[in-house]
Amino acid sequence: MNFKESVAATPHLKNSFCEGLQALRAEDKPHIEVEDTRKLAGSVDVDTALQKAQPQANRWDFAIAYNHTNRREEFVYWTELHTASNSQVKVVTKKAQWLVCWLKNEGHPLAGFERDILWVSSGATSFNLTGYQQKQMAAAGLRHVGSKLRIRNKR
Amino acid sequence: MKSLHIQNVGQIKNASLELGDLNIFVGPQATGKSIALQLLKLLIDAGQVQEEMGKYGLDWSGNLPDFLDAYLGEGMRSIWKEGESQIHWLGKAVDLAQMAKRRRKAKAEELFFIPAQRVLTLRDGWPRPFTDYSPGDPFAVREFSEKLRALVETEFSGESLFPQSKRLKKEFRDLLERDVFSKFALKIDKVRSQKRLVLGAGTGEGSLPYMVWSAGQREFVPLLLGLYWLMPPSAVARRGEIKWVVLEELEMGLHPRAISVVLLLVFELIQRGYRVCLSTHSSQVLDAMWTLKHLREAKAQPEVLLEVFAAPKTPGMLKIADAALTKSVKVHYFDGASGVSRDISNLDPWSEEAGESGWGGLSEFSGRANEAVAHAVANAK
Repeated sequence: MNFKESVAATPHLKNSFCEGLQALRAEDKPHIEVEDTRKLAGSVDVDTALQKAQPQANRWDFAIAYNHTNRREEFVYWTELHTASNSQVKVVTKKAQWLVCWLKNEGHPLAGFERDILWVSSGATSFNLTGYQQKQMAAAGLRHVGSKLRIRNKR
Repeated sequence: MKSLHIQNVGQIKNASLELGDLNIFVGPQATGKSIALQLLKLLIDAGQVQEEMGKYGLDWSGNLPDFLDAYLGEGMRSIWKEGESQIHWLGKAVDLAQMAKRRRKAKAEELFFIPAQRVLTLRDGWPRPFTDYSPGDPFAVREFSEKLRALVETEFSGESLFPQSKRLKKEFRDLLERDVFSKFALKIDKVRSQKRLVLGAGTGEGSLPYMVWSAGQREFVPLLLGLYWLMPPSAVARRGEIKWVVLEELEMGLHPRAISVVLLLVFELIQRGYRVCLSTHSSQVLDAMWTLKHLREAKAQPEVLLEVFAAPKTPGMLKIADAALTKSVKVHYFDGASGVSRDISNLDPWSEEAGESGWGGLSEFSGRANEAVAHAVANAK
């Protein structure tokens, strides 16, 4: 199954697949830079799609799939647009932990794709994660990439 | 700003160095940081350097290669390539061959150099005189050593060196006692008629001679003496005509807590009006510069900076923190691969320039480690 089919096979995401970056809000799009938009394999607004089913959960924002030239399968960038601040590390880490857990359960049709779990700053990025914060995040599979996610053709 | 421009000297292909009040040189080993700093000393103190070298019997017969070997150390003549190497200081070309040919009139020394090899300046716990070194040893090491010898022999006869009520602020004495000396005092001891520095409560039994000090203490004591030299016990802020201080690798052998104390001492140097140039391999030093930059931009109070350094918020320390937040800071990255230096003073962790986001390679490894772990954990089966 490709990304589009996998999204359709995932409970509560059935009708959430969007072409290109259309799942993202207008204010979020400038934070994503793509080398070749034709290689985008689609996007999903996970947060909105799961709002009814899991209203209390620390839901993740988006999934963006891309066909890298040096990879056979689509690669999924699980992307959280979130305020950049040291105090938010715990909040975003909890969301990443929720995502990993969700992918193992309801989200398993999408778990087969190689992925990165990324925090993209929604505002200014004048903050410096301490060494231990970066390690706390890394241990949860999460990485902060600044105010822009740059997706290149080769990965 | 003062500008130093070096082209085709040693490993440096092109270094344009704008110098502020506090200057940090970073980069891998053998990329030209130390050469740039020693050239700065030479450009500022040519007459004094030549006079000192002459006084101790160094003769370079007016030729540049011999002068470079005598000044920078044996074999260093190779850094200068006739017709290719160039130096500009304060916007003017400097004719180094002419400088070596004709001795300049000595004026008062303006730059004090604390070299990376400072641990070599103590032998059996006592500073070595200039003439105790081989003629092929760098001038900066020999001169620093000679200054320490003069300092302990003329300003500390029979006294305790640390703690010393007339030297350093009480806050610094407390911090150093906690983070470096661990309740030991640094004293002058005598074995028969030979003076030596020891750590301990007193002479004789219980005193620790130089060879049993920790590596950090052996590194720190020459640095402490250098700071004593720069911070005289009188009301004057600076010693003599000294305006510049070079401190190579301040972190040498020190625990991060001790590095914090040394950085605060550096802030005191700039508060006293010295311009300071540091070379470093410590990411903590760049963390501190990054903090300074953002606190300055946010117009934060000096208390916040002292909190970062876990230092007491006394009036004296607040004055130092305030100075650190108002003085200009420049960070230069010496890129070994290209031989070109880059101004990375913005220290933007999100810069697309790897030299800047990786802080001159100092956070490169942890960056790669975090990336690899995050990816592996995110894709764990």
